[in-house]
Amino acid sequence: MANKLKAPDVEPTDVDLKVFMNLMVVLIPMLIVSAEFASVAIIDIKLPEQRGSQTKSAVTEQPQEEKAEKLLLTAIITDSVVTLGAKGGFMPSLFYQEFHRYITREKDLDTLLEYTPGKMPNHPRTGRELTVHERFEIYLYTVEPETRNIIRSLYTKFGEMLTDADGIPVREVKAGDTVFALTNPRRRMIVTNPGDFESKPLSAYDELKNRLMKIKERYREAEDGEDIIIAAENEVIYDKIVQIMDAARNAEFPNISIAKLRG
Amino acid sequence: MGRFRKKKHNASMNITSLMDVLTIMLLFLLKNYSADGSILTNADNLVLPNSESKKKPTEVNLQIAVTQDMILLDNQAVVPTEDARNISQEENDPIITKLEERLKVCLAQEEEMVRLGALNAVQGRVIVQVDKNIDFDVLFKIMNTCGKSGYNNMNFAVMERDDG
Repeated sequence: MANKLKAPDVEPTDVDLKVFMNLMVVLIPMLIVSAEFASVAIIDIKLPEQRGSQTKSAVTEQPQEEKAEKLLLTAIITDSVVTLGAKGGFMPSLFYQEFHRYITREKDLDTLLEYTPGKMPNHPRTGRELTVHERFEIYLYTVEPETRNIIRSLYTKFGEMLTDADGIPVREVKAGDTVFALTNPRRRMIVTNPGDFESKPLSAYDELKNRLMKIKERYREAEDGEDIIIAAENEVIYDKIVQIMDAARNAEFPNISIAKLRG
Repeated sequence: MGRFRKKKHNASMNITSLMDVLTIMLLFLLKNYSADGSILTNADNLVLPNSESKKKPTEVNLQIAVTQDMILLDNQAVVPTEDARNISQEENDPIITKLEERLKVCLAQEEEMVRLGALNAVQGRVIVQVDKNIDFDVLFKIMNTCGKSGYNNMNFAVMERDDG
């Protein structure tokens, strides 16, 4: 008889959650209203400097020897070339071919199309002309100057470009090679499995960042070592300028000014 | 008779799982909560470019929004973008006249506020929201107009990229 337990008299009761529910019902709509799902950031820029354009009155002649100390870094963008200039000289130009990714309004197509300046492409199936608002992203793929063949490079699975010790993009790797990923500062890696990396068209933005980082390493001490002027042609789309500003900021050139390129 | 007698039931809904959902939602929303509110002008033809910039807009400033067909100053239409496009590209010092007039009025207001002691100094700050498909020509004309009107401190509004 002793092993027969008596059923407890009290029934299990729930905690009364109604009060808490009321609170939730009020709090959640309030938070949804004030939630920021896409956050806005800002880019600080300086207004166009006298160099390259702008008012004649503002041009002040600097002594020659002072000029020699300065880096005077300039990135020049036209519709097919990006060029870096520093210390009065120019680095080899980066030729690129523009590819635009379109996502149509009907969401039935997500495609990468080659861009010809001044002309919107047609929908590959219906033939309808695509609008600028359907352009989702712009990719600049570097090409060989003459043949216009797209240059390829290896990328990590995080989308970082791989370079060798001299900062030149690598096209293939063997196990045991030492490569550097394009982060700031560069991340050194020893290849264990070449299959970890993916061969992709070399983005002009990445190569630009790579070159800017090289300049930064060399001229860190320069008086205007944090300044860059971005000079663009009239037809350059704003989105490209923002991407180039990103590359410049990533390479530690935070003081960005913008100038116009005289055609 | 006894068959039809109602059984006394304590009818209560089991809301534990609902509570779980709500708690998760509450946490998620609290994480996304921002006290400063959004300055975004949400228009169909104003898509801001993505950028890796992490800098946050600090205070409410004058805003210029540039869409494909209108230039707006503090959400009021000022001048069609087409007018800005029509200014000659050869012009050394392109000024969008209507925009300049409005900017000067704003600057005068700011100066007045400094005189009254409501502001410390004329900041000349302006946040420019430009559609990502605008060409540099229009952008340059707007920048030049702002600079000439005394708004030298320009910020471009961009969308923060969600991946790193």
